[in-house]
Amino acid sequence: MLGRLNFSTQKKIIIIAFVAIPVLLLLTFAYYPALELVRLSFTNWDGMSPTSDYIGWDNYKEVFSNPEIFGVFKNNFAYFAVGIVQNIVAIYFAVILNGKLRGRNFFRLMLFLPYILNGVAVAYLFSYVFDTTQGSLNFLIGHLGFASDTSWLGNESMINYTLASIGFWRFMGFNMVVYLAALQAIPSDIYEAAAIDGAGGWKSFLHITLPNLYKIIELNLFLTVTGALEVFDLPYIVTKGGPAGASETFVMKIVETAFQFNDYGLASAMSVVLLAFVVVLLSIQRYLLNRGGQD
Amino acid sequence: MRKSALLAMTLVAMLSLSACSGGNNGGNNGEAAESGNAGTNANANAGAGGNAEGDATATNEGAANSEVKGEVTFLTNRTDMIDKEYNDYEKKFEAKYPGVDLKFESIANDYNAQLKVRIASGKYPDVVLIADAIPNADFPKYFAPLDDISFSDELNFKDLKSFEGKSYGVSTGGNTFGIVYNKQAFAKAGIAEVPKTLDEFYEASQKLKDAGIVPFASNFKDKWPLGAWSNDVVSIISGKPDVANMRAETDTPYAQDSTYFQSWSIIREMYAKGFLEKDVNSTNWEQSKKDIATGKFAMYGLGNWVINQVIGAGAKSEDVGFFPFPADNSGTPKAPLGSDYFYAASKDGNTAAAKAFIHWMIEESGYEDFAGFIPTLKNKPSGLAQLAEFKGYNPTFVEAVAGSDKATQIQNEAKIDQEALVQEFVLSKDPIKVIDKANEQWAKARKKIQ
Repeated sequence: MLGRLNFSTQKKIIIIAFVAIPVLLLLTFAYYPALELVRLSFTNWDGMSPTSDYIGWDNYKEVFSNPEIFGVFKNNFAYFAVGIVQNIVAIYFAVILNGKLRGRNFFRLMLFLPYILNGVAVAYLFSYVFDTTQGSLNFLIGHLGFASDTSWLGNESMINYTLASIGFWRFMGFNMVVYLAALQAIPSDIYEAAAIDGAGGWKSFLHITLPNLYKIIELNLFLTVTGALEVFDLPYIVTKGGPAGASETFVMKIVETAFQFNDYGLASAMSVVLLAFVVVLLSIQRYLLNRGGQD
Repeated sequence: MRKSALLAMTLVAMLSLSACSGGNNGGNNGEAAESGNAGTNANANAGAGGNAEGDATATNEGAANSEVKGEVTFLTNRTDMIDKEYNDYEKKFEAKYPGVDLKFESIANDYNAQLKVRIASGKYPDVVLIADAIPNADFPKYFAPLDDISFSDELNFKDLKSFEGKSYGVSTGGNTFGIVYNKQAFAKAGIAEVPKTLDEFYEASQKLKDAGIVPFASNFKDKWPLGAWSNDVVSIISGKPDVANMRAETDTPYAQDSTYFQSWSIIREMYAKGFLEKDVNSTNWEQSKKDIATGKFAMYGLGNWVINQVIGAGAKSEDVGFFPFPADNSGTPKAPLGSDYFYAASKDGNTAAAKAFIHWMIEESGYEDFAGFIPTLKNKPSGLAQLAEFKGYNPTFVEAVAGSDKATQIQNEAKIDQEALVQEFVLSKDPIKVIDKANEQWAKARKKIQ
């Protein structure tokens, strides 16, 4: 049947036939729910009743005018700050482990392993580590002769950094592996040429390694920013948002609004705002980095 | 349902990791939190029906036994008892009613939601368990009235599952709140008698602290154990079960003269005096059970359901005691009483056998002792030493009433998480500011709802 059609029509039919199913799946399970989310954000749906009323922009006004809701973003900042440090350390380890180091595969493995662990397991594990009276961290510090009753999880100004450090432990290895892959793609003859011209280690890092890693740094920063905005599992398990809400993140707030207070409309609006926030931040980041690249 | 599934999916897509963490966490604290809630909040939805007790006529049991015939199925939430205790129940029940074939079916997760689906499909077992998922007004559509079962004593929660004067649910057992304590720890601190007033309670705590024992395990960080301070302790102080509902009538439910303030001030005081864990922001629920069992911690303020868990964590049963929490200096012991699930009989099923089974479960099975509940029969002594001890203090029970939708609505609109509020109240330098803010949120939400 297809034989009668000319080659380019056949090609089109085949392509459409193959693409149709994935596109259909994508539309049903990604785009339709996303649109539904936007629609719900303009309603006061309570999560159960068969009907809901359109209430215009009220939910959005609530999101931006209520400091209880928008204010939690400051708790997310700690994850971003630690994420930057995490990337720097990851580049450092990647460069070291890219060199001729004895047992480097072992070290790579050790640094990457935490990433494989389930996030919930990691959170539970660290709630034991940071326990004030029985935690292994305070036990270690105590044996080194320092004060061993630091409340890692109870200090309001420290709590977010404590939690972010768990994220550091978990994701640094992943960042490192991504950097490592990029490093191995840099041809070694460039380094040789630079060495002949008299460039030292630091100079070749600055002028060869970093520029070559640029795209990858951008990718890792992207992951860091979205990760910082959407962090949920760590505070949810380790602190439940405590002490007194000091470690509550925006996503925890969304979940609480929807599933505890049954305000699905407001929760949807918060999700949309989060989505918009990610887009805006990434645009800014791209703009800044790309401008820097062109100078 | 469809919409909620969609939203959930979208959220999952956005959060990726979060979904599994939520699930796991729920599972972990589930057993404790769930039974805790059942104890404190198991209020029915609506309708205090009339008293149906007068109609019950004593039937001649001997004659009735042979009349009851056929197959009867019980849909239970206790998966763990299938092929174990239930085999024994079946043997005993069928010995008494030779014409009946008793069967058990179990639902492991989310009993209420699954029962709804079964009922919607029109085919559900003869005896089911009901909680809050089905409004009382719908009972006549699905269930048979149970007023003609003749029990040997008055029942607790008789009217909670009634509609238009007929009772459709019989409580499987009751839960209460009090202080679960390690007797060895009390002896070590030189406390001869359990405290009867709040001042004595503080004194005892001081003695425990001086003896190097952590007086009170609050499990502050985990939030859910703090729920008691907004439910049970409030009931004890006020002596009324409907304080939570009455919040709908005021703009300042958490004001300084409120029962809530009084209740939260107790735990704040205990925190200030160092009677709670060393670092309340780093508590560990599983470990705390072991610490109570070994006497490192002395007391829990929780429901009776925790007793079996403490014993399970290694305590000798005779070392674990239970007494009513003295929330004031009046000296009269009080305790809240909430119901676990209720038995209900399908209106289209084998009702005669179903009623016989419910009667047997309440009167003869001993299930309440196994589950650690307070017997549904008002004057039946509990087979559990701790509950018998508790009853020995002769507390006045404040029986739970139906919850009010309006108060819940306002609380949701105000986005007040009472457990988080207790945390803030205890940790804040200025608790007045905390309640002022909560009252403000409440008043604003109340205006919107009305």
